Amino acid sequence: MLRAAGRRFLRLGSEHRAPTVAVAARGYHERVVDHYDNPRNVGSFDKNDPSVGTGLVGAPACGDVMKLQIKVDDATGKIVDACFKTFGCGSAIASSSVATEWVKGKHMEEVLSIKNTEIAKHLSLPPVKLHCSMLAEDAIKAAVKDYEAKKAKLAAGNAETTQTVKVATA
Amino acid sequence: MASRFAPRLLLQRLWTLRRARPTSSILVASESPADVGGGGLFSPPGPSSALDPRCVSRVFFSARPSALDERQNPAAIDYRSLMSEEEFHNLADETIHDLLEKFEEYGDAIQVDGYEVDYGNHVLTLKLGSLGTYVLNKQTPNRQIWLSSPVSGPSRFDWDVTAKTWVYRRTKAALLQLLEGEVGQLCGEPISLR
Repeated sequence: MLRAAGRRFLRLGSEHRAPTVAVAARGYHERVVDHYDNPRNVGSFDKNDPSVGTGLVGAPACGDVMKLQIKVDDATGKIVDACFKTFGCGSAIASSSVATEWVKGKHMEEVLSIKNTEIAKHLSLPPVKLHCSMLAEDAIKAAVKDYEAKKAKLAAGNAETTQTVKVATA
Repeated sequence: MASRFAPRLLLQRLWTLRRARPTSSILVASESPADVGGGGLFSPPGPSSALDPRCVSRVFFSARPSALDERQNPAAIDYRSLMSEEEFHNLADETIHDLLEKFEEYGDAIQVDGYEVDYGNHVLTLKLGSLGTYVLNKQTPNRQIWLSSPVSGPSRFDWDVTAKTWVYRRTKAALLQLLEGEVGQLCGEPISLR
């Protein structure tokens, strides 16, 4: 409902712009609008599933909360699926949507090198929205960390350490 | 005004000093999913009272900083226990107003096309024409100052009581030093912000 209202608001803005006044183009970049209108991978996995890593970052008080989940193939360490749910501005939604697209099919270590600058560039985020892309990067890292922590716990629980917990570096 | 805060601050510091011995890292990363997961998707970080020992033990610094944790997972922390809102506003406003003045003076002294300093709604915007734009604002719930830089991207600064500066935990960068370095380099003229 909120999204529909938002969409109406966006469209309303473009229709009612006075033709005589030269308005600086300060709208959202078309990629951001695209992600807002057609968000990819919205959804939720079962966070108790051992192959799922959940990254939850941000805080409602700040205006942005992102939950990004990854489903990992235990054997290969590759991310086979990803989904997100975000509460926040269009840039935040687009950033986390892009993040889920980019992590799919990649190895866990690889996605840790996804930088907020890449996301921001891809979406042409204005300076004030760079924080959204940073949050998306943090969400990816948090999801990977959660998965690894779960795996380590399980391994410890089974009283056999099959692999050392890989420490992810920023 | 300072005297009103002194006793409360002193108390807080004594509290945190005592708690600092059994060092707990600032970010209790493992706790966060559990905290939020229980009450539904986006239940806000619980209003744990300031007297909650767990809460107070999240000191300004951990004696053994867990750099790994901080970089990995900026989990939900109850920042309200760190500093009162009023104190935060005083500190942050002072810093931002100071910067505003210095940037305005700097702009008068140098020649950069499109140099513009703007301050509205507690947001400080420094435009350097084609060199990029800086945006500085307060993030009150987190007791942080947020900076968006065309050079170093987004950063979030917390108040470091000992050093009496705003510090970005992940890189240990101090706000004023960072701005001095970047702006000085971009514009070709050194600037002093401290």
